[in-house]
Amino acid sequence: MIKLSNIEKVYQTSNIETLALNNINIDIKKGEFVSIMGPSGCGKSTLLNIMGLLDEPSNGTIAIDNKPVEKFTDKDLAYLRNQKIGFIFQSFHLINDLSILDNVEIPLLYRTSTNKSRREAAKEALEKVGLSNRMKHFPNQLSGGQKQRVAIARAIVGNPEIILADEPTGNLDSAMGNEILNILLQLNAAGSTIVMVTHDENMAKKTHRLIRLFDGTQVS
Amino acid sequence: MLSHLFKLIWNKKRHHTLLMVEIWVSFLVLFGVMSLISYNFKNYVEPIGFEYENVWALDLNKNQDTTAIADKLHIILQKIRSYPEVEAASRMSSNSPFSFNTSNGSINYKKTSVHGDYYDADDAFIHTLGIKPILGTWFSQSDVVAKFKPVVINQQAKEGLFGEINPIGKIIGDNQKVVGVIGNFKAKGEFSDNRPCIFNLIDDKYIFNKVLIKVKPGTDANFEAKLTKEIASVAKEWTTEVSYLTDQRQNQHNLALVPVIVFLIITVFLLVNVAMGLFGILNLNIAKRREEIGVRRAMGATAGNIKIQFVGEMWVIATFGVLIGILFAVQFPLLNVFNIEASIYWMAIGLSIVVLYGIVTLCAYHPSRQAANIQPAMALHEQ
Ligand SMILES: Nc1ncnc2c1ncn2[C@@H]1O[C@H](COP(=O)(O)OP(=O)(O)OP(=O)(O)O)[C@@H](O)[C@H]1O
Ligand SMILES: [Mg+2]
Repeated sequence: MIKLSNIEKVYQTSNIETLALNNINIDIKKGEFVSIMGPSGCGKSTLLNIMGLLDEPSNGTIAIDNKPVEKFTDKDLAYLRNQKIGFIFQSFHLINDLSILDNVEIPLLYRTSTNKSRREAAKEALEKVGLSNRMKHFPNQLSGGQKQRVAIARAIVGNPEIILADEPTGNLDSAMGNEILNILLQLNAAGSTIVMVTHDENMAKKTHRLIRLFDGTQVS
Repeated sequence: MLSHLFKLIWNKKRHHTLLMVEIWVSFLVLFGVMSLISYNFKNYVEPIGFEYENVWALDLNKNQDTTAIADKLHIILQKIRSYPEVEAASRMSSNSPFSFNTSNGSINYKKTSVHGDYYDADDAFIHTLGIKPILGTWFSQSDVVAKFKPVVINQQAKEGLFGEINPIGKIIGDNQKVVGVIGNFKAKGEFSDNRPCIFNLIDDKYIFNKVLIKVKPGTDANFEAKLTKEIASVAKEWTTEVSYLTDQRQNQHNLALVPVIVFLIITVFLLVNVAMGLFGILNLNIAKRREEIGVRRAMGATAGNIKIQFVGEMWVIATFGVLIGILFAVQFPLLNVFNIEASIYWMAIGLSIVVLYGIVTLCAYHPSRQAANIQPAMALHEQ
């Protein structure tokens, strides 16, 4: 489903060159639940961003459904991000000026859809994460766990085939973290392909496969 | 998408109030200046209705002289008309074209009345100013029959008093008999409004102090000197002053245009300020909303979607300001303020809307394009 070949990512800042990813080869199959682990700064988020087509590798190729994305235009990439991929970020990234419901609707704004169908889909997604009683609230009125659940609802509202989750439980206590993991496991059971960055060995154990990174290199 | 934008702006309305107020004020000032411009433009496209090239206005100031005035005036007029340089010469009241004198009042026919300008003129008047009657004829001494005094009215007076009825031979005011109708007569120049007016016939006992002289093309100051000397020889105490209608017209134009230009400069200054404010706010907004831009890009927004969103937000804000502005502006045509035709106000409202949205779009476009070009990963990284 997502195939990364010889991926290299170099960040060039004024005088330092950071090799964030080096020779990464990953093939993620449909229906898999893959976790990524590694120390802070080893390139996990960078890797996830490249998988999610938010960033371009310095070298190497990415193929989604066997189609290399190098030649894709901005529009094609946006279409893929919109239709195929749901992103859950390390720091939620909710829009504070919009209600929970409006936040969850965002991916659908970039599709052809009616106000009513958007509303319905967003409500349904919020129900799945157990937040249907908080729809009219604003992000700053929610706890961290609730915010993360909103972020999940937003990632799944468009029924994407792939969910990319960057430390979805990093900011939460273990009870809350387990609840989130359970939601992801359910989604996986229902057919979603999931790639999750985590620091928690126990969580990683519950997934199908574990990829370890160290200093930008794949160690297992 | 539109309802999404409205929601976004509505949720942040406190944040945007200042901008909306600025746009509202700009709209009103713009409406003012556009009304003024539309008014002047609408007047300008109406012809003035007479020819002023090579026409001189001669002012005769009798000073303390009281002896045989009528005789002297008669001789002077004869002399003027006898020069080969003079094509036509005509006596008239002191409110000659482009002068700063006015004389006005109501003109009545039965129960109808219009407000208009009064002029006294003689039978040569239309030759001096190249006027052609559109109905009937210009008056002459032979029209003075019994107690009726012949008058000529213009098209505006005719429409106001008679509508579609033929006014020739009708008696208006006190025993004034309409013998002719002329077209426009905009004595204060192109930028003045097209007012009704009426001409009364000057008889030979009339003490005039204004003569309009149509000279042959190319007649110069030498003739002017000759003329004043000749008049001085007839009436020693008198002073004469010659002005060219072309110069006087220019003065009238300046009088009409200077306020427009001053107002326009103030408006442009204000709009430049608003535009810079808009530009600044947008740049700041985009810097503060990089995270949001990153999120939207990650959720499938194209660069174009981001650009449209930011320009669209400015349009929504402008719409709030403009709508309140329109609420105020429509009072002018509805309440008929300053007695100006409603169409002028409507035109001004339309123009103001176009100009304001144009400015907003211009200011929003560049920052919005920059926002659209932010790489999603970069935008999200900084948080
Ligand atoms: N935009 C950027 N510009 C420059 N350097 C960057 C940029 N993004 C990441 N890096 C560098 O690349 C390396 C990998 O960063 P990345 O965010 O992928 O780490 P991570 O594994 O996600 O860390 P953490 O567990 O703390 O989230 C780091 O050394 C980081 O400083
Ligand atoms: Mg990270």
